[in-house]
Amino acid sequence: MFAALLAVPAFAQVDFTGEWAPLYHEDGPERLPGPELGDYTELPINAAARMAADTYDADRISVVPEYQCRPHGADYSMRGLGNLRIWQEIDQNSQKLIAFHTHMLAWDSERTIWMDGRPHPPAYAPHTWQGFSTGVWDGNMLTITTTHLKVNYLRRNGVPRSDKAIFTEHWMRHGDYLTVVTVIEDPVYLTEPLVRSDNWSLDPGQNIGIFGCEYAPEVPRPEGTVPAHLPGNNPYLREFAGWYGLPYEATRGGAETMYPEYMKKIAGEYHPPAKCSRYCKCTSLFDCNLNSK
Amino acid sequence: MKRTLLFLAIAAASLLTTQVKVYAHHSFAATYFEDKTITIDGTLRQFLYRNPHSFVHVEAPDDKGVMQTWAVEWGAGGQLSRDGVTRESLKPGDHVIITGNPGRDPEDHRIRMQSIKRPATATAAEFNWKGVVR
Repeated sequence: MFAALLAVPAFAQVDFTGEWAPLYHEDGPERLPGPELGDYTELPINAAARMAADTYDADRISVVPEYQCRPHGADYSMRGLGNLRIWQEIDQNSQKLIAFHTHMLAWDSERTIWMDGRPHPPAYAPHTWQGFSTGVWDGNMLTITTTHLKVNYLRRNGVPRSDKAIFTEHWMRHGDYLTVVTVIEDPVYLTEPLVRSDNWSLDPGQNIGIFGCEYAPEVPRPEGTVPAHLPGNNPYLREFAGWYGLPYEATRGGAETMYPEYMKKIAGEYHPPAKCSRYCKCTSLFDCNLNSK
Repeated sequence: MKRTLLFLAIAAASLLTTQVKVYAHHSFAATYFEDKTITIDGTLRQFLYRNPHSFVHVEAPDDKGVMQTWAVEWGAGGQLSRDGVTRESLKPGDHVIITGNPGRDPEDHRIRMQSIKRPATATAAEFNWKGVVR
């Protein structure tokens, strides 16, 4: 009987606790040095998202003080903004898992993923950069649903993500690797779910320091200036198509561009350069530059 | 003794290699002409050693000879410290020569640092940095 009291029911649960370093073999140029202007490929965006991106001026982040220390949201954070720490919160009395917590280097962001079955708050509850997250087990995969995210980016060339979006993650640990498949559903800017994946490697020796963002006059401009392009006036939108030999329409994104069938559609109009000249090699932070080979 | 020194060396190397400060504040391609370079030669007026990015502000003439205040984006504090750059490395008044990628808006007079050199003077040693701002 005593042994029965001590017996722990078997759950198909996984401990994600640990120090995790991001791997960049997927979408390296976008996630590291950053996406090029006008590259909306493989994003299921609508006309509203396209206009927001077309009118975006990246100088905004330096000129507008409120943008300098504006964190990326929980969804973009999982693209590997920096080193990640995950730990569990266990209720002392019941020994049940209450939550997972994450700490990300970038902006010292922390997130709680509630595992105790609590509901999400009503739609009008305050929104935050990390949102409100709950998790459920699907076998040994953790499925996390996050709502109440503040407005942020899908891609760092201005493609927006609204505060109505629902962010779903599927965490899968296999040994020392963590694969996170993410799904963003945004009724304001997306016509279909955006599915991406990112991988992390366990790094027990990593030391996450303090980010500690500091406001400063990076690029002084008159007070109240908000860099932007008026609709139709962004002169840089065709660069990307030219560099990579793509038809301009393909760079404008849309759900169609996510699927392999689209390659057949543009086969006659796609003329890649004879020799790679931009981001020819990009697998890590240290080899992903314009002229990397 | 040798074992102790070896242990300390390994521990120190581990500390350096695990402090990987990786983050992605903004897209450099969206902010700068990455396939162009510009060189300015002037006087450092301010050195902001910080996160998300350090900045140096330099008074230097533009290509028309008109004095401008250039905003030169550098690495985050963590990146610079790993390269041996501290907030004391440069001082207002230093003569500096900077090369980098020009910003897309010419009115900003903005540069992404590729290299900075302070020639040696009677009161300051030569300073050189060359690298990739991440």
